[in-house]
Amino acid sequence: MAKAFNRHFQFLGSSGGAKPSGRLWLPAADVYQVADGWVVKVELAGVAAEDVEIEVEGNTLYIIGCRKDRSCAAGGSFHQLEITYSRFEKTLKFPASIDGVKLDHMFENGLLIIRLHKGDE
Amino acid sequence: MAEETLQDPLNETEVNIPQQLEVAILPLQNTTLFPDTVVPLAVGRERSMRAVESALSTEEKFLGCITTKSEGVTGDEAKYDDLYQVGTIVSIKRMMRNEGVMQLIVQGLERFRIVEWSGEQPYLKARVEKLPELERVDDEAIEALKRNIQGMIQQALAMLPQVPPEIRMAVMTQTDPIQLSYFLASVLDLGVETEQKMLESNTADELLSLTHGALARELEIMQIRSKIANEAQGEMDKSQRDYILRQQMKQIQKELGEDDEGGEKAEAQQLRERLETADIPDDVRKEANRELKRMEALPQSAPDYHVIRTYLEYVLELPWRKASEEKLDLNEARKILDEDHYGLEDVKERILESLAVVKLRPDSKSPILLFVGPPGVGKTSLGRSIARALGREFERMSLGGMRDEAELRGHRRTYIGAMPGRIIQALRRVAVNNPVMMLDEIDKLGNDYRGDPSAALLEILDPAQNSTFRDNYLDLPFDLSKVFFIATANSLGPIPMPLRDRMEIINIAGYSDREKLNIAKQYLVPRQITENGLKPEQFEITDAAINLLTARYSREAGVRQVERTIGNLARKVALKVAQGSIDKVVIDVAEVREYLGPPRFHPEEARKEMPAGVATGMAWTEMGGEVLFIEATALPGGSGLTLTGQLGEVMKESAQAARSYLWSHAVEFGIDAEQIKQNGVHLHVPAGAIPKDGPSAGVTMASALASLYTGRKVRTDTAMTGEITLSGLVFPVGGVKEKVLAAHRAGIRRIILPAQNESDIEEIPEDVRKELEIIPATRVSDVLKAALEPASFDENADTQRFTLQDMDGKKGDATTDRLMAKES
Repeated sequence: MAKAFNRHFQFLGSSGGAKPSGRLWLPAADVYQVADGWVVKVELAGVAAEDVEIEVEGNTLYIIGCRKDRSCAAGGSFHQLEITYSRFEKTLKFPASIDGVKLDHMFENGLLIIRLHKGDE
Repeated sequence: MAEETLQDPLNETEVNIPQQLEVAILPLQNTTLFPDTVVPLAVGRERSMRAVESALSTEEKFLGCITTKSEGVTGDEAKYDDLYQVGTIVSIKRMMRNEGVMQLIVQGLERFRIVEWSGEQPYLKARVEKLPELERVDDEAIEALKRNIQGMIQQALAMLPQVPPEIRMAVMTQTDPIQLSYFLASVLDLGVETEQKMLESNTADELLSLTHGALARELEIMQIRSKIANEAQGEMDKSQRDYILRQQMKQIQKELGEDDEGGEKAEAQQLRERLETADIPDDVRKEANRELKRMEALPQSAPDYHVIRTYLEYVLELPWRKASEEKLDLNEARKILDEDHYGLEDVKERILESLAVVKLRPDSKSPILLFVGPPGVGKTSLGRSIARALGREFERMSLGGMRDEAELRGHRRTYIGAMPGRIIQALRRVAVNNPVMMLDEIDKLGNDYRGDPSAALLEILDPAQNSTFRDNYLDLPFDLSKVFFIATANSLGPIPMPLRDRMEIINIAGYSDREKLNIAKQYLVPRQITENGLKPEQFEITDAAINLLTARYSREAGVRQVERTIGNLARKVALKVAQGSIDKVVIDVAEVREYLGPPRFHPEEARKEMPAGVATGMAWTEMGGEVLFIEATALPGGSGLTLTGQLGEVMKESAQAARSYLWSHAVEFGIDAEQIKQNGVHLHVPAGAIPKDGPSAGVTMASALASLYTGRKVRTDTAMTGEITLSGLVFPVGGVKEKVLAAHRAGIRRIILPAQNESDIEEIPEDVRKELEIIPATRVSDVLKAALEPASFDENADTQRFTLQDMDGKKGDATTDRLMAKES
């Protein structure tokens, strides 16, 4: 029994087997501080712009969305699948409140780039 | 700085799965998938692969995973009824084809329940309903279970050192009990049923208590297994543990041993110093140094250590070169000998001769003397006197009863408890190498399978060999040639010839009554007076009393019993003195009888009346001499010669020789040969309980038989000794002095001795000799002439002779009948 247990654990350790996980895909993100605010880059290649929602609440920035496989319906057959198609939700906390900042976002080479401009008004 | 939160429970419900949906169903064997876990799967069966492919072709890659409840049913064969109703929707994260098998990594998302099956082919497909999040009924119970579970996980991880740290972290930091439970359920091999039950749990409470139970069971199994494993390990490790313990012990001993070594060093050092200063021969020192080195190399606890130490101490204590100073003055020696002993002139003379040689050649080998004589004649005290005369140490050892050669020569050191022999021990005691060493009772040496001590004495007593006497224990040559050995024995007989040969034999015969009187007056009485706390003026004993003591209260060749009886008397007087009497007590014959009772011994007196057939002989014993009577009687009609009285072979044979001689010379002695032929004869020598042997009773037996056959009595005042031959010669015998003295004591006044023993007559004290008529005999006829009374015709005096005379006239059966009738 202990062996079985061990095997499980070893298996987990070595082959990335059963692991506790959340239900969501958590895309990678970079955050820069620039002169007039912040720049956030999120690795969201293949995500349609309309599938992404961005929200600000206090000092937190939420990026919520879903990556869907839109190219597979044509009846082809997968030989290999490595890209995660899943709902995602990225939560980023900032050191100060970002309420009232001006947001704009754009996709550039598969990255979602969000600029947070401090209000200059 | 911006930071990422791993999860936000608020948003969990946001997983974008419709409440109801149609998904491809992947049947799983022996595995249950749980939400919130990432699990690798391998899919190889056709239908299952079609289901996965179908899932992959959807935008969100959802797949329903359901476990088959029937055993042995493969994914291809599974019917609706073979499957549970509740499963998990997973999202396919990775897929790779590998030799016709699809390797998947799936992430569990939500639990679902089958609403309606919508097809079995080409793959299982169903309409499913997402199950709601787990309810939490009792938060406190959940918290308690959670803590318990976490505690158990810690215990389990403690027993599983090989679990990688990231898994540990993930498990330990998992705060959500439901996710933790699902993870544990997927990790632990709990069995399909339990796992399914956990999956189907609708409340957190239920799930957690199932997890708790399962985990507790697992933990217990692990503990038992670990215990068993430990025990097995323990068994295997025992030898290793012993080894380690021994090493530790060695270390400890070493720690402690440093002190010991200090002690050893000191001891060894001491021995070394003594060895350097000791006056010992070089070869001995060399050997001792060798042993000392060996000892130093040994730990004090080694048994050999003490063996060697004792050995070295022995070597150091022996008088290798130390001798006591000689102060040999022959006149002084003579004076000392005379002081200590009365009489024994010839003995003293020979001792002085030996001492003279020692004086003239101090480096000569010491003589080895053997004193032979009855007990109590002063052999031992002579030895002491010699030591005194020489000014040397005196050491006496009794060899009586010694059976083991090793007692004399020691045991080899290999034996436990080995000791040097008695000789070396004695030398250590006296601490000089030239003592007078008395080997008492050398004739009483025994021997058995352990060896013959007399053989060892051969070396010790040989002046040519004993300068390199090698004791087994010492294993070093020790020079015994300076030792003045004196041996004593009661008789020469038991001493082996080679041993006898090595010694100068000095016979000390018994004392005559006159000598005893003088000894008593000069030595015994004064000694007993002092020993019993009297003063000379309180105690006197007359000569007559002493003579009575020697004659009637003791029977011995020496003076030991006499001294004891004098001591007895002295004690009686001492009692009187102690009670207040101040008068001088004079012991005379009457007082002797009063104090000691009637005489204990009746002297072996010459018999006043002896019938024909009885003769008086003389015997030599270790106690001195004795008178004995030989009785012969005819057995009419019997035959042969019957001999009784514990006679030895030699004595029996001399009896036969006597009879044969008389028979063959019957005419010469006036004996009727027919008588001898027709009648048996019985010869008896009292006292019947004392064994007797030797040829010296030959003449006595011949006289007794002649007396019987001729009817002439043997003279009662005559005693005789001598060996006879078949041709009628009389041969000389030993112990003449003792025999004559004994006969004289017994009141005999005529002694028949072999003519060749005449030289011994001079040894007989003058006072005794002049009271005796000594008749030398060379032939049996001489003996018979001197011994037998002239023919007597007194019928009343001798019935037997009467009978025999009758027999002369009337031969045959009638005579015998008459004789028997008369006897009865």
